[in-house]
Amino acid sequence: MPFYRCLIPKDSLTYEQREEIAVAFTDVHCGLSTAPRSFVQVAFLETDGSGEVADSHGSGVLRYDTPYFIAGGNRAGRSEDTKRLILGGLIGKFSEIAGVPADMVSGRITEAPASWTMEAGRILPEPGAEADWLEEPAAAA
Amino acid sequence: MVTFEFFVQEGCVPEESRARIVADIESVCAEVLGAEAGPVSVSWTVIRKGFGFRGGEPSTTSLVRSRIPDGHGSDVRAQFLRSIAETWCNLTGATEDEVIVSARDWSWAG
Repeated sequence: MPFYRCLIPKDSLTYEQREEIAVAFTDVHCGLSTAPRSFVQVAFLETDGSGEVADSHGSGVLRYDTPYFIAGGNRAGRSEDTKRLILGGLIGKFSEIAGVPADMVSGRITEAPASWTMEAGRILPEPGAEADWLEEPAAAA
Repeated sequence: MVTFEFFVQEGCVPEESRARIVADIESVCAEVLGAEAGPVSVSWTVIRKGFGFRGGEPSTTSLVRSRIPDGHGSDVRAQFLRSIAETWCNLTGATEDEVIVSARDWSWAG
């Protein structure tokens, strides 16, 4: 985590744009949180225009009505301000790099408890506790 | 009921290994969560080469996201996550760092 899925029209982004967006998303997320860069997963999925995608961190589906949609999934526990800043930052960077107006991009971030995910063989830390987690030997987890 | 969404990078999980992965994961569900967990449903999403990134670099990481019945304690959930990760690594050849496994309660709205 986090896991950011970018739902995009077919053939709308070049590899260079996708890579630049992935780096920008990592910068945004890690700039506003204490997550290490290796936590940030970004996937681009070309859609058929159905306007909905299964929620990766909650239940049901996320619906959207813009050509581009960011379906984010994060660890729970951050402030509403931080969550708003992250999503706003992602949409802004996506719009800038993709070269599309910001109103063509929307997004939603849902969350699940950190303790419900295992990465590299260990239960994830709560937001803000990453430094201790990274220093722990794997066997201690 | 237990549902799984497998997000895999293109070329990292051979098509011919998928049936065995599903069968072994069904066994893990029964062993760790009990028969009362019910049937297992699986969906696969293949992330095309050049479409998946981790830390801004091309990714080889798979995400195994599941929903399980409510009511399991942290020890059982941790055992479940560990068993799924081990099964995944054994059958795909992925390293421990190349699989992220999660299990959220069925009623969790996000």
